[in-house]
Amino acid sequence: MDGSARERGSLRLSRGTRRRQRLAAAAGQLFLLAVTSLSALAVFAIFYFIARDAIPFFRLEGFKEFFTSTRWYPSAEQAEFGALAIFVGSGLVTLGAALVAVPLGIAAAVCLSDVLPFSARQVVKPVIEMLAAIPSVAYGFFALVVLAPLLQRSGGPVLAAAAWIVGAPVAALLAFILSDLLADRFPERAQRRARWAFLILLGSGAVAALSVAGRALSGLEIPSGTNALNVSLILGIMALPTVVSVSEDALQAAGRELREGSYALGATRAETLLRTILPAARSGILAAVILGIMRAIGETMVVWMASGNASQIPEPWYNLLEPVRTLTATIAGDMGEADHVTGSARYHVLFAMALCLLTVSFLCNLGSEWVLRRTRRKAGG
Amino acid sequence: MSLPTRKILDRAFSGAGVLAIALMAAALLILLVPMFTRGSQAVFFRATVEHRRFLLEKFERGDRAAIEAEIQAAQAARAPVWRLVADFESRLAEGEAAGRGKYRKPLKELRNELRFLLGPEPGKPRPMLMRDQYGQTRLDMAQLGLERVLRREEWDYSDPTKGGIRILKPRAEDFEGTALAELFPYVEKNFARMLLPRRTVYWGFLTDESFDSHFFGGIWPEILGTFYLTLGTLLLAVPMGLIAAIYLTEYAKETRFLALLRTCINTLAGVPSIVFGLFGLAFFINVAHVSPSKSVLAGSMTLALMILPTVIRASEEAIKAVPRAYKEAALSLGAGRWHTVWNVILPAALPGILTGIVISMGRAAGETAPIIFTAAVSVGKPLAPWQTLTQPTPALSWNIYNLATEHEAVDLVRHVQYGLVLTLVCLVLLLNLLAIFLRARIARKMRN
Amino acid sequence: MNTMKTTMAGLMAAAWIAGTALAGDANRIVVDGSTTVGPIAKAFAEHYMEKNPGVNVTVSESGSGNGAKSLVNAACDVATMSRPMKNSEKKAARDAGILPIEHVVAMDGIALAVHKSNPIADLTVEQIRDVYAGKIRRWSELGGPDQPIVAISRDTNSGTYECFETLVMNQQKMGEKVEYVGSNGAIRQRVMSTPGAIGYVGLAFTEGVKTVTVEGVEATPETVVAKEYPIARPLYMYTNGRPKAGTPLADFAGLSGTPEGKQMIADTGFVPLP
Repeated sequence: MDGSARERGSLRLSRGTRRRQRLAAAAGQLFLLAVTSLSALAVFAIFYFIARDAIPFFRLEGFKEFFTSTRWYPSAEQAEFGALAIFVGSGLVTLGAALVAVPLGIAAAVCLSDVLPFSARQVVKPVIEMLAAIPSVAYGFFALVVLAPLLQRSGGPVLAAAAWIVGAPVAALLAFILSDLLADRFPERAQRRARWAFLILLGSGAVAALSVAGRALSGLEIPSGTNALNVSLILGIMALPTVVSVSEDALQAAGRELREGSYALGATRAETLLRTILPAARSGILAAVILGIMRAIGETMVVWMASGNASQIPEPWYNLLEPVRTLTATIAGDMGEADHVTGSARYHVLFAMALCLLTVSFLCNLGSEWVLRRTRRKAGG
Repeated sequence: MSLPTRKILDRAFSGAGVLAIALMAAALLILLVPMFTRGSQAVFFRATVEHRRFLLEKFERGDRAAIEAEIQAAQAARAPVWRLVADFESRLAEGEAAGRGKYRKPLKELRNELRFLLGPEPGKPRPMLMRDQYGQTRLDMAQLGLERVLRREEWDYSDPTKGGIRILKPRAEDFEGTALAELFPYVEKNFARMLLPRRTVYWGFLTDESFDSHFFGGIWPEILGTFYLTLGTLLLAVPMGLIAAIYLTEYAKETRFLALLRTCINTLAGVPSIVFGLFGLAFFINVAHVSPSKSVLAGSMTLALMILPTVIRASEEAIKAVPRAYKEAALSLGAGRWHTVWNVILPAALPGILTGIVISMGRAAGETAPIIFTAAVSVGKPLAPWQTLTQPTPALSWNIYNLATEHEAVDLVRHVQYGLVLTLVCLVLLLNLLAIFLRARIARKMRN
Repeated sequence: MNTMKTTMAGLMAAAWIAGTALAGDANRIVVDGSTTVGPIAKAFAEHYMEKNPGVNVTVSESGSGNGAKSLVNAACDVATMSRPMKNSEKKAARDAGILPIEHVVAMDGIALAVHKSNPIADLTVEQIRDVYAGKIRRWSELGGPDQPIVAISRDTNSGTYECFETLVMNQQKMGEKVEYVGSNGAIRQRVMSTPGAIGYVGLAFTEGVKTVTVEGVEATPETVVAKEYPIARPLYMYTNGRPKAGTPLADFAGLSGTPEGKQMIADTGFVPLP
C-alpha cells in the first residue's frame, strides 16, 4: 500500500504541489503506521513461532502427561515428559519471591510516598534503580558463589538471624496492639497498669516464641545451598524495584485531598494510609504485585544457576530448602537437543513450556492492564 | 485504642517502611561489596615475577632488561629447590627398590605442587598448555600453592558414622631423614625471593585477550562482544522505537486498533527473556537465516526486539512531556506537521528519549538468556566490525555464567569471574548514572 | 501489510546475502558441542590460533546434543561430542546433505566424585545406580555418615549424562531428587562445597574432590586405557565429510593424532589414544 501510494504520488507530481504534499504526508503517515504495527506485531510473530514448534509436542504426546505427571525423563529410551514438578517449581520460587517482594515493596513504597521527606527520596530512588539495573546474571553469580555456600555452611544461624530481624519488630507491634486492645476492657483507672502487664506478658511470650523458633532454625542443616529458598530470596530482591515503583505511583495517584481529609478527621498517618490511601490505591498495588511476579516467573539466569534443577515437588510442597526446577531453567538447559532437525518431542516440549510461560505472562499483562485502566477511569471519573 | 498506642502504631508503621528501605539498601550493599572488593582484585593485585614474564613473552610489555634480570634472580633462588628434587630422585634410582616404592607417590605429588607454584622444571621440554608453562602469577594463588607444597591434606575417616576430619600434614614428615627434608624450610623462607611479588595494576585485564581458557590474560573479547551486541541492538531498536513513539503520540487517533497496538507493545514488554531467545533461534536463525549460525547480528536482533517496548514507552513519555505550546507555536507559524515533529518536538524531547535509550542500553548489555542460543560462545577472538554479521562472540554476561559453572577449573579463575561481574555491573551502573544525570538536567530545565 | 512483508523480506534478503558472502571464508573454524571435550577443544583452538594467526577458532560448550544439531544445521565445522552420534542424528544429517565423519579424539573415564570429608572409598556400579535412582537416600545406608545424599547429575542434554545412563543406570530412571547442573565444572564445584554430595565427572575434573573407586578400580588414565575401569567412553569430534588435506579444518581435526595434540590431551587430564 505504502509503495503504491508513493508511486501514484510520483506519477501525479506535475498536477500540483498541494496534492503532492498531501500524498507525501499520507505516505509518511502510512510508513509510521507500518513501523509501529511491525513492532507491535512482533508479539504475534513470537506467539506464532513458539506455538508452531509447541503444537507438534501436544500432537505427539498429548496434554495429560505433560500437565499431570511429575516424571521428567526427556532423554530416556522411553521418554517421559511430565512437567508438573517443573510447573510447581516455577510456582514455588515465584511464591517465595512474592513473599519477599510484596510486603517489603509495599512498605517501602508507602515510606517513599508518604513518610520520607523529598531530599531522602532523592537518595533512595537511585538505590532502587541500581537494584533494578544489576544484570540478572550478576544476581545469579551472587546466588551461586556467595549465597549458596553461605546457606550450606551456616544456613541455620543465618535463617535464625533473619527470623529475629523480621520477627522482632512484627512481634513487638503485635504485642503493643493486643495489650492495648485487651487493656481497653479494664476499668479506666486500671488501664495503664493492665496495659503494661499485658505488654510484658505478651512481649516475653513473643521473645520466647522467637527464641524457640530461632533455636530450631539455627539447628537446621541445609544439605544443598542451591535450593528454592536461595532463588526465592534473590528473585524477591530482583522483583522489588518493580513492586516499589509501580505501587508508589499508585499511592501518589491517590491524591492529596484524600490524605488531607483524613488528617482533618484526626487520623494519624498510619491510620490514614491503612484505612484510606491503601484501599484507594488497591488496584494499582495489585498491578504492581502482578508485574513483580511476572519478573520473577520469567527470570532465567538466577534459577538456572542456583535452583538446583531437580525435577521434583518438594516434600512437603512448601519446603523451600529443597532444590527445584523451573520452566525457564529447563528451557535454557535443555535447549538444542539433538533431534531438533527431525522434530522430536524432546525439542518441541521446550517450546510447549515457552508457550505456557508466554501465555501466563500474557494473561498477567492483560490483568495488570485491566486493573490499571480501571483505576485510571475511576480517577478520571 | 488509646492515644499513646495510636502514636506508637504510627511510629511503628513509619518504622516498617524505613526498615524495608534499609533492608533494600542492605541487600544492594551485600550484593555490591563482594563484587567490588573481589572484582577489583582482577586489576589491582600483587603479581609475581611469573606475571611479568607472561606479559613480556606474550606482549613484549615491560622493561625487557629489568624483567629478565628479575627472572634470573628468581631462577637462581629456585635452583636449589629443583636441584634437591633432582638429587633425591637420582639417589632414589640408585637405592633399593623398597625406598623407591615408599617415596614414589609423595615425590610425584610434591613435584606436581612445586610445578603448580613455580612453573615448569628447568631443562624439561616446554609444556603444551599455557597453564603449565608458568607458575602462579598472583600472590594470593601463590600462597595457596605454597600451602600445598608445605602441607598435604589428609582426611581421618576413622569414624565412618561422621564426616572425615581434615588434617594438614607437613610434607616434610614424608621425607623425614632424607636430604629432601631441607627443601621445605628453604621454600618457606625464600618464597618471596622465588616469586618476587609486587603490587601491580593490570589494566590489561580490560584490554588483553584471554589465554588458555581464561587462565591468563584479560577479557577484551567479552567487552568488545558486549559492545557490539549493545550497539547493534541500539541501531535496530532506536529508529523503530522512535518512529513508533512519534506515531503513537503525534499521529494516531484513539481507536480500537491503537488500543490493540498498545496492548501488543505492553505484552512484548512482559515476554520472558528466555522466550525471546527461543524466538531468536526459531525465527532469526532457523527460518530467516540472518546468519548461518549464532552471530552478533542475530543476537542484536533478538535483544532489539526485547528492548523495543522500553524505548517506545520512554520516547512516548518524553514526547508527551513537551509543552503543548511549543507544538502550537510551530504549527501556527505555518510549519507542517512533520516539520514540527522533527524540528521542534524531537529536540525538546531529546534528553528524555536519551534517558530511556541509555537505560535500555544497560538492559541489553546485561541480558544473558536471549543471547544463549543466538550470539554467545565461550571462547573466541575479538571480532572485526564486519565479522559481527556472521560470527558469534563471547560476551560479558554469557561468560560470567560460563566461567562460573562450565569452566574446567572454576575455582582457579575466580578473580576473572569477579572481574567480569564487576566490569558488567560497572558498565550498567554507569549507564544508569548517566540516565539519572540526564533526568536531573531535564528536571532543572523544566523548573526554570 | 504487504509493504511490511516486502520491507522485511528485503531487509532479510540483504542481511542474508551479506551473511553468505562473508560466511564462506575458510579462515574460521566453529567448534560446538560437549563441555567434556571443551578443555581439549579450547586447548586445540588456542594452540592452533597461535600457530595460524589468520584463523579464528570459536568454541561453544553447549552440550553434545547441541553440537550434533549445529553440525546438522551446518552451523559449525566441528561438533565435539562425548557420545557417538545417534542414528536419528545421522539420518537427519544425511537428509540435510551433511555427511558426519567421526574422529575419535581421546578416551575419558567418568569418575564418581564425593566431598573430601566423605569416608566412603568404594562403590559398586549397582550401588551407584541405586543412589541415582533414589533407592539409597542416606550415606549411612552405604556405611557412611548419617547424612542425606545430594546426588548431582549432568543436565539431560549432555553426552556424559547419556553415557552414565547407558553405562550405569541400565534402563533405570534417575530419581526425582537428583539435581541437574550444566557442566562438569559445575558438578565439581557443587561436590567441593557440599559435604553430602555425589556427582559424576570426566577424569579431567577431579581436582579438589575425592574420587571413589568403582568395583575396586581407581579412575586413572592407566585403568581407562587398560579397560579395567568400568565407566569409560571415547570422546569424539565430527566433521562434515572428510576435511580436505591441507585445509585449516583438516589440520585442526587431525591435531589429536599429533604428538603435540596427545600431549595437550594428557595435560588436560584425558587419555590420548595410543
